[in-house]
Amino acid sequence: MSCYKIPKVAAFATLALSLALGGANTVAETSADKVDYTAMSAEQLADYLIFDARGFKLDVATQEGGTVRQRLEQDELQRTCSALQGARAEGDTATQVMAMARKAITYPEGEIKLGDWKKGEELARSGFGFRVGHNTDDHSEREPGGNCYACHQLDPDEIAYGTLGPSLKGYGKARGTAEAMLKYTYEMIYNPHAWFPCTKMPRFGANGFLTHQQIADIMAYVMHPESPVNK
Amino acid sequence: MSSKAWFTFPLALSLVGTAGAGSYQAPEDVLQGVIEKVESDYLTQSEQNLMMMADNPANWVAEEGKALFLEKRGPENVSLEGCDFGKGPGVVDGAYAEMPRYFEDAGKVMDLETRLVHCMTTLQGFSADDPAVKERHGSSSDMMRLQSYIASKSSGYKWNPPLDHPLEKAMRDAGNVMFYRRAGSLDFSCDTCHGETGKRIRASVLPNMKVPEEWTKAVSWPAYRVGHQEVRSSQHRVRGCYWQMRQGQIVAGSDASIALISFWTDAARGQPAILPDMKR
Ligand code: HEC
Ligand code: HEC
Repeated sequence: MSCYKIPKVAAFATLALSLALGGANTVAETSADKVDYTAMSAEQLADYLIFDARGFKLDVATQEGGTVRQRLEQDELQRTCSALQGARAEGDTATQVMAMARKAITYPEGEIKLGDWKKGEELARSGFGFRVGHNTDDHSEREPGGNCYACHQLDPDEIAYGTLGPSLKGYGKARGTAEAMLKYTYEMIYNPHAWFPCTKMPRFGANGFLTHQQIADIMAYVMHPESPVNK
Repeated sequence: MSSKAWFTFPLALSLVGTAGAGSYQAPEDVLQGVIEKVESDYLTQSEQNLMMMADNPANWVAEEGKALFLEKRGPENVSLEGCDFGKGPGVVDGAYAEMPRYFEDAGKVMDLETRLVHCMTTLQGFSADDPAVKERHGSSSDMMRLQSYIASKSSGYKWNPPLDHPLEKAMRDAGNVMFYRRAGSLDFSCDTCHGETGKRIRASVLPNMKVPEEWTKAVSWPAYRVGHQEVRSSQHRVRGCYWQMRQGQIVAGSDASIALISFWTDAARGQPAILPDMKR
């Protein structure tokens, strides 16, 4: 499914660039009549509009030391899952995505341990981090959070919780903290595609969004018996 | 005026076909109508808004826009009555419900904002960095006043963006790919949050792109955003969602933004537009 014929798009790109530089007009005014959009597949055109017709401010620096261009470039997992247009991965695709995800998981040194649930709570509540553009998150002011409440219920006393993911209320109480459970939960936060191929849940570890320590703290919030999640 | 325009633009008539473009209906009545048609937490999440809609501050912004539209402005000292929004020069009734569309004089597909910029620069002679053109956000910008006025004339009309020109179709299809395109630090695509009904991000109920009765409200911009206390545009919403997705800043008026707006308007096809709207 992921046959996007990149070289062809690249050829269009150079053509467009040399033509676009000719006039002082804005890109928006000139791009369509220089390159034949109708000769491209929808996938090629989307890539062309994003990367070559200056659809985004691509050169802007990101918090991880890269550029917006790099943020927008898809890795193999993102490309494979996008092509499903929201459907669940099945069969070979599912196997392939799960294997890809598993390969990308790194574990903390020693055993997987729970960190500080109070820190974890702050992180689970925070939606801060990695936003760039008209307002850019300054990571030197505040550390990035885990966005867990965007999609999950956790502390039963919190009413502003999202529902894209299942409720995690009482998660630790129900599941315990045996080694296999710690490993599963760690992997879910690090790279959930290892268990749910093409899930909507982000790869917080594999994408460098959260550190090993932050993951340990969030795991404590979700699993520790003292945490309000399990009261 | 509009019947005369129909007459002199038989091409436009044939493009629209018999889909039944509709006629004007006040935005609060249109919303009430879709609420009665489907059960939707998204549509009913702000009952307060529904009650406040008759006094929507965006109505005043649209009024100011009407005056600006008719005023002779710019170095060329002409009004925007010479601007063709797809149904003939100066015709605004139902025009926005059929945008984005291909414009022969520009050789490209344009959304409302891009078309306004085109007319203000080519017809009225404003330079691209004149504040009248350059300032795109907020109720006091010319751009939001004009957009609100033009859009308000499509309230109750069914979304019916043409797909007859190959470029209109190509842009819609590229927008479809963009909608499902996962990227960035959180692996999000638009579908992550707008592919199911009744789901929430934190406390906000999300509209589902696949339910046209919900989606017509989602794409009904300009809207007064209660949280911002400003009238906002489609382009502003697109920018906000990409920012949340950690995918950087989309360029307003870029073909990428127009492709996405072509797709999202197509997804609301057949449902009446709610304009101007009011949102959280
Ligand atoms: C964009 C939404 C989203 C965000 C943000 C998110 N998740 Fe999830 N999560 C999901 C979905 C969806 C699932 C269910 C997996 C599936 O069916 O695809 C899930 C599943 C899980 C599971 C497994 C539940 C089970 O019953 O086995 C855990 C644990 C979990 N998430 C923890 C977290 C934590 C901790 C965070 C914050 C660091 C987080 N999630 C952030 C969407 C999200
Ligand atoms: C992480 C979740 C998320 C993603 C991903 C996302 N959005 Fe949104 N979107 C939201 C939220 C939250 C709102 C505000 C809804 C509310 O306040 O009820 C919203 C609002 C909207 C609206 C207007 C509806 C309204 O009532 O305000 C449109 C249209 C829209 N998004 C389109 C998109 C498009 C197109 C994309 C992809 C470029 C996208 N969204 C990606 C969360 C998301």
